[in-house]
Amino acid sequence: MITFTSFPPPSFDNSDVSGGHYRQDEDMDMDLENDFGEGASKRLTYPGETLTSSQAFMRGHGTFVHDEDVVASVAGTIERVNKLITVRPVQPRRWKVDANSRQDAILMLSSVNLPGGVQRRKLESDELQMRTFFEEGDLLVAEVQAFFADGAMSLHTRSLKYGKLRNGQLVSVPPVLIRRLKSHFLTLPCGVDLILGLNGYIWVSKHVKENEQEGEEGFDAEAVYSNRNDNIDEATRSAISRVSNIIQVLAAHFIALTDAILLEAYEWALEQGTIKDLLQQDVGEALVAAVTTPR
Amino acid sequence: MATVPISKSEKSYIQSSLLLAAPLRADGRALHDYRTVSLETGVAPLSNGSAKVNIGKSPEEGGGGTEILAATKLEVESIESGAGVEGGRIACTVTCSPAAYPHLSPNALDDLQYDYTTVLHQTLSHQSLHPSNLGILPKKKAWLLNLDLVILSDSGNTYDALFMAARAALWDTKVPVTKPVQYAARNSSSTSRLPSDAMDVSQDEAQQSGFDTRRIPSATDFELPDYWDEGEVLAGRDKWPVCITLNIHPPTYFLDATSMEEAAVSLRLLLSFSFPSKGHATMQSMRLLGPGELQLAQIQQFISVCISRYPSAFLVLSHHCFQEGEKYAQRLHSALESKLRDEEVRRNQRLRFALR
Repeated sequence: MITFTSFPPPSFDNSDVSGGHYRQDEDMDMDLENDFGEGASKRLTYPGETLTSSQAFMRGHGTFVHDEDVVASVAGTIERVNKLITVRPVQPRRWKVDANSRQDAILMLSSVNLPGGVQRRKLESDELQMRTFFEEGDLLVAEVQAFFADGAMSLHTRSLKYGKLRNGQLVSVPPVLIRRLKSHFLTLPCGVDLILGLNGYIWVSKHVKENEQEGEEGFDAEAVYSNRNDNIDEATRSAISRVSNIIQVLAAHFIALTDAILLEAYEWALEQGTIKDLLQQDVGEALVAAVTTPR
Repeated sequence: MATVPISKSEKSYIQSSLLLAAPLRADGRALHDYRTVSLETGVAPLSNGSAKVNIGKSPEEGGGGTEILAATKLEVESIESGAGVEGGRIACTVTCSPAAYPHLSPNALDDLQYDYTTVLHQTLSHQSLHPSNLGILPKKKAWLLNLDLVILSDSGNTYDALFMAARAALWDTKVPVTKPVQYAARNSSSTSRLPSDAMDVSQDEAQQSGFDTRRIPSATDFELPDYWDEGEVLAGRDKWPVCITLNIHPPTYFLDATSMEEAAVSLRLLLSFSFPSKGHATMQSMRLLGPGELQLAQIQQFISVCISRYPSAFLVLSHHCFQEGEKYAQRLHSALESKLRDEEVRRNQRLRFALR
């Protein structure tokens, strides 16, 4: 004889569930009423989580009212002042930027150029579409604005010199090899722009004429935050590759990079023929000898 | 699969450079050029065979390039009571150094290690490549060949480097020479003998005593006789395969990708070939990696670029790829072979100097 039984009803006790779930008490309203001050401030909300009834409490930032309930609209920590419930978002309005440094640098939403002019106020919609400006993996050039108390850098890109990088490739060298120059934005006569970052990241890209850069008044967000490369002809591409290889050879020989040395090395390399040979040992040594011997 | 973050503009820059009339890569290489490969065998003195391989390291710099350390260690296994297999077995393990992948979480690192280990183990421990001299005593003892590889740094093309390092380490491996030993109880016929003789009777002697009718292998243990070298090389060591990775960005493909280039293409075809000194080259394994797909239209494009007049579109592509892969694998194999022979000569000279 075979009998079928149903499964025991699932237990709703979350306390024994390990993993990435936030602790969630059974009776939300009671929780809010009782220990809202101390214990709940460490609790995180998720967007759409019902916090409490709107009859007893007022909704603040980060919440909205739905069916007589106060509902969180962001992930964050709950704060309460008397009857006012607010949710402070977890990571607000900033990007973390790898700056080849001990700590990640921080780029605030308020420190980038937003579409629609410099004087425009930040809106909540800007926060929601931060990924349309910069997203994961994007490369950008920025200036250090300030340092936080823990030594982390705060960056800004509120100039047309700064912003998203495209039309080229990245070369990474030890940071000590970058000398302080009058300008770290170089243009080589071979139609290549160089950005010598003080953190050792060097951006080698196609030259963009000054008057073709995205203008101040007609700030074109689509052009500034575009991911698409311009058309780059083969001569420029091989020039970019050649400059990248020169930088790599010089860095391998521990020679500090300045505009003068790069120019001289480029002229020397042009006479030497193929680009990939630069990475060979003897050619590299000849290049270094040619650049470092005084004339 | 991408282990480095890459921005969209970098990705499209790499991809569009590949599709030019004269394809150009970031460091000026042509599509089918390899970076400089450095190789040294005998780097780990305590192992039975070892090798270090670096792809793309610039000569002056300390770091850089994809660096792999491979070492083999032989271990005696009991077949009756342990995990041993008749004729010995091979176990490959790949470990990724966290320093090589600083931005990967430990879990992601484990996954990556597992992927590498699977491909390498399945290819190298295949029956067709099994060396014949890994057995010690039939039905009793056999060697377990542990092949351990460590990825010390990764700048692309890890699979090719792993296979190169594995091949070099296996080429370098010396199996200790063993002699079977039987412990014979002293019986009436051997009473006249000296006790020391009775303790150490070699196998052929033991078979002469016609008392043993049970016909079980009489040797119960083995000893390591003095030998002029650390041992014999693995049998059939010329068969160990090399691997070629074709990074496919339709309609073209390229070899020896840097990590940025690996991140920019979505499809990789791994082909490993074995080139025995006698006979034809054989393909030992094939893997298609990555989320990309080859569509029929793209394959047809491939065909128009490559060869035509084959009945099935896919056959042509695969045929072409295999042919190309075999061509490059053959080149890689002969270069590696000559380097390994050089290394042998160098180390023998060193040994001779040391003896003098």
